[in-house]
Amino acid sequence: MSRRILIIDDEDDIRQVAALSLETVAGWDVIVASSGAQGLQRAAEHQPDAILLDVMMPGMDGPTTFRELRKNPATAKIPVLLLTAKVQGPDQRRFADLGVEAVLLKPFDPLTLSTQMEKILGWA
Amino acid sequence: MSEALGRLWAKFRPEIENRITALETAAEALTSGSLSEEQREAAHQAAHKLAGVLGTFGLHRGTDLARQVELELAEAVPASAIADLSEWIAELRLLVDDRK
Repeated sequence: MSRRILIIDDEDDIRQVAALSLETVAGWDVIVASSGAQGLQRAAEHQPDAILLDVMMPGMDGPTTFRELRKNPATAKIPVLLLTAKVQGPDQRRFADLGVEAVLLKPFDPLTLSTQMEKILGWA
Repeated sequence: MSEALGRLWAKFRPEIENRITALETAAEALTSGSLSEEQREAAHQAAHKLAGVLGTFGLHRGTDLARQVELELAEAVPASAIADLSEWIAELRLLVDDRK
């Protein structure tokens, strides 16, 4: 089934590899945003099926962006998966406690990223 | 998929190399005792970004090395850690140079 995913990440390389992965392997429609503020706008405008959200971004970081998404009725119910290179336990628990669907680790495997998302989101 | 990934690697390689250069510069400054707080923080960020991206391009050893460097640069680096840090950074440079 075709899905629409919004990727919010300030790093060009990660954003483009993730987009390539989800478009090529899963055939999903991908929208990208390079900042939290742009991500909020695109989420409301495009109503994606899920959002892949980077944690560390300049300006509005991932957790703040997530809280803003939840405040807006138009985006409050969109599932969010956090993407982070912070591998230490306390960081991961802190992120999971925000109420996101899952915390995915960087680096991700471009060949299995969509399968991982499908399982987490119950799309498999 | 692997061809497309190869194209992205070629596209982003200069940026990845710049991040390694930032680490090398920090290591040199550390060795000469002139590493500023700003330089350390910039190198810490560069290592964090390398850790997140290198494995995505198949360089898992690169991610491991970058994580070690990131941890070491998280705060003031003790003199006893400088040699290891320089070795890890040199290995990172070789890994990236060797990837086609």
